[in-house]
Amino acid sequence: MQTPDQIFAQLKDLLVKLFEIKPEQVVPQAHLFNDLDIDSIDAIDLMMHLKELTGKKIQPEAFKHVRTVQDIVDAVAKLMNEEAAK
Amino acid sequence: MSSPVRHKMNRLWRVFATGYCFVFFGLAGIVLSATVFPFLRATSRDADEGRVRIQRAMSGVFEFFFRMMRFVGVISYELRGTEKLSEVAAGKLIVANHPTLIDVVFLVGLLPTVDCIVKDGLWRNPFLRWPVLWAGYIPNSTAEQLVESCAQTLKSGRSLLVFPEGTRTVPGQPFAMRRGAAQIALAAKVDILPITISCDPLMLAKTQAWHEAPRGPGHFIISVGDAIPASEYLVEDVPHSLAARALTRRFESYFVDSLAALQKAAATQVSDSAPQSEKNVHAKALANSSL
Repeated sequence: MQTPDQIFAQLKDLLVKLFEIKPEQVVPQAHLFNDLDIDSIDAIDLMMHLKELTGKKIQPEAFKHVRTVQDIVDAVAKLMNEEAAK
Repeated sequence: MSSPVRHKMNRLWRVFATGYCFVFFGLAGIVLSATVFPFLRATSRDADEGRVRIQRAMSGVFEFFFRMMRFVGVISYELRGTEKLSEVAAGKLIVANHPTLIDVVFLVGLLPTVDCIVKDGLWRNPFLRWPVLWAGYIPNSTAEQLVESCAQTLKSGRSLLVFPEGTRTVPGQPFAMRRGAAQIALAAKVDILPITISCDPLMLAKTQAWHEAPRGPGHFIISVGDAIPASEYLVEDVPHSLAARALTRRFESYFVDSLAALQKAAATQVSDSAPQSEKNVHAKALANSSL
């Protein structure tokens, strides 16, 4: 999980596997709640899976303002970069 | 008196009686919150005993209330399979569809002890917040906390009532069930008892004001279904997110089918018992009003 493209690809797999979302629905601008029917409990599930995938601690605050698929990719990328910079 | 006039009088009476019932309910809530409920809490050994006694008292009040609504002619009702409800419901998640404002009055009135989720407004109400607290009802907090505290209640062997729609059904629209109820059942690993509520003619629905009395008293049918085993959905290697989706679809199809069966039975009953044209029109209207 390095480049935003790779993050996006892995996130797409997760969304398809966990939430019965069709691969073609997963586009960067897709709204998680409105377009992909992901509710707040799903969001917690998703964060746990992202944590496993990235091996990073994920603070809920980092995902507070996440609304779209692209927002998740950005948040994860930011987390990875922060860790790398340390 | 000619029939249209009587019809109008009858309707006006029901508008008045509905208003009376609401005022009575509000006042009774205030009076009981200041007398009976604190007394029950104060004379209980501990919070647990207080909770059970207050829930029983609530149940009695709600049962009185739906009987009173029938007595004054605002509603009529049929109860199906409710005789052993408290035994059947023990330790289960109870899910019901939510057509009207008074569904919870029926269900709490029919269940001697049941936990409920209570919305924020009541926790801020100066009168009702204490009885709601003493009854051990669950505040509607964040999704994660809510699932957690609901699962805990169920794991301790109590029953819990949840309306999976989260709010009253929008008449004429398909069910929009949220997945919280399914998530709770899966987290607690308990079976689910579905209860179907129908009301025809529809009254006190989401899009209706309290004074919009229908053409006749709202006839309620409260029908207890067969339990849905959680084990069918707790399959290894299937994530809860998928199981919750499947279980929520099961709820939706259950209530669609169950309501259709109730309406079909009502329609044939009407046309069998009296084959006059007026009754047949009524039956057709019933059949057409399916969701």
